[in-house]
Order: sequence, then structure tokens, then C-alpha cells
Amino acid sequence: MYMALLRNGTKAEPTEKWEAQLRKGCLELAILASLWEQRLYGLEILRLLEKDSDMVLAEGTIYPILSRLKEEGLLESEWVEAEAGHPRKYYWLTAAGRQKAIGMGRIWNSFAANLSALLRPVLNGRGGKP
Amino acid sequence: MNTAASSPIIETYFAELDSRISDLPRPQREELVKELRAHVMDRLEQMAVPCEEDCRTVLKALGTPDEIARQFRMELILRRSSWRISPVAILRTCARWTVAGVQGYAVFLVAMVGYLIALSFYVTALLKPFFPRNVGVFVSEQGMNLAHFPVPPPGHECLGPYYIPAAIVVGYLFTLGTTLLIRFLVRRGRSLRQRLA
Repeated sequence: MYMALLRNGTKAEPTEKWEAQLRKGCLELAILASLWEQRLYGLEILRLLEKDSDMVLAEGTIYPILSRLKEEGLLESEWVEAEAGHPRKYYWLTAAGRQKAIGMGRIWNSFAANLSALLRPVLNGRGGKP
Repeated sequence: MNTAASSPIIETYFAELDSRISDLPRPQREELVKELRAHVMDRLEQMAVPCEEDCRTVLKALGTPDEIARQFRMELILRRSSWRISPVAILRTCARWTVAGVQGYAVFLVAMVGYLIALSFYVTALLKPFFPRNVGVFVSEQGMNLAHFPVPPPGHECLGPYYIPAAIVVGYLFTLGTTLLIRFLVRRGRSLRQRLA
């Protein structure tokens, strides 16, 4: 569904469009976080994003982002020959990538906490004064 | 697996992708295609006997060639403009951008004008020692002139030998200013596009 959502951004409802934007905006952080504990190749990163954050997007678009993160020195990569018969490109975090993930994670946490506080009355269903 | 991995649908897909990114730097391009192919093969291997329909499903989840090409182009522009401040790289990026629309064209024009002014200061600074009477800052009723050949421009030359360091500094300021302006415009363009996307 999110895939369809990202594709038809212009036709989607405003809230759906906003949600797609939000997911897109958090993608970089999600990628860095997915690599925190292990080396992964593109498809494994996608599976993790799907499983833990239902952050699904047009799958192919993750590769240009990975390549930029690598160029920025946040990731390192290596082609590894696999049993599958074709090599896979594994990525891992550099020290700078770890620093960046921590920094972004902190920003996200304080942002999310503040917004949640602001949203408490909205989502508690208490009737506000008109 | 091999039959499916080299199915006509998949080859058509990659041919289309190739045609859309053919103007981008080869090493990054080849790397991207290699990775995408590995992705497609991995996806197809999960299926017992991949058929044409499976190929279509895998490619659909991957995104259209256009979508991937656009993302790739955007990431390349981002990376180049934020990491390099060489005028050549910036002009080349802008030239690519012009393909992207009117806004890109405007950025390209700004870059051209800014760098040309900077260049004219550098060139006149170089010429000053050889043609001291023709080059300098000449102020007259017609306004300000930097150089004129073979007859010196009208008016009084006000800087003399100090023209050389002054022109180098002003030229450098123009180079820097144009570069910063372009980077600002490219970034703004990106956020604008993201909002429109």
C-alpha cells in the first residue's frame, strides 16, 4: 500500500501524502539504524525496514541513497561472492556513520517526545472547547 | 533462475533504465545497475519456478526505471553540490539540471553570469602587467570600464598597480559568491521538489 502511496503521491489524499513524505524523510535514519548491529546487503536492509518499521517504498530507490551515504563517508561497502551464484554488496557503518545515527536518533527522540506531548489531548478523545 | 533472470521483461526494464541514466558518471551507474540486478535475482530465487508474472511483480516492487533514475539523479546532484565547490563541477551539475526544467535553467544562467564576471577579473589581472595602459579601473561619464584594446578606455585609471591584487580578490569573491548562491538554489530546489513530490 505504501508503495502505491509513494508512486501516486500527487493523486493521494493529503494525509496519505504527508505520511509518504514523513516516511521518505526518515528513510536515511532508518537505513543507518538498520546497519547498527550488522553488515547487510540492500535486500536485507529492505526486509528489516519492512519488518520493523513498515517503511516500504519503491525498493530500487534505496540503492541510490545507499550509494550517496557511502560517498558521504557514513557507510562502507564490499561486494561479497555468495552461494546464490552472484555477488551481493554488503554495507556497514563507518565511525562517522555511527556518530550520525546517534545524532539523528537523538533529534528524532526529542522531536517525537515533544510532539507526543502536544498530541496527548488530541488523541485522548477529550472534547476540546470549540 | 537463469532463464528468468535474463527474461525479456527484465532486459527491457534495464535497457530503459540505462537510457534514462546514460548521461551520468559511468562508475556509479554501473554499480547501481549491478546492485539492482543482484536484487532482482535474489527476489526471483525466492520463487519456486519464476514465471513472467513473477518477473513483473519483482520489477513492480523495485519501482519504475523513471522513478529510480530520478532518485539516482537527485542523490548525485545532492552529493556533488554539497561536497564540491569547484566551478567546473558546479557548472556541469547545472548543465544537467537544465534538462530538469526552467528552474534548472535559471540556476545555470546565474552560474554562467557569476563565473564569467569572476573570470573577467582574473583575466584582466593577468593582462595588467603586460598592458598597463589598457587595463585597470577607468571611470568616465560612460560608467566604469575594466579594459579596452587597442585604444585605452576613456576616463582616468584609478588603481594603477594595485589593480592586480584588487581584481584577484574581487574575482575570488565573485567565484565564492556564485558557488554559494548556486548551492543555496540547488538545495532550495530540492526541498521544493520534495514538497511537490
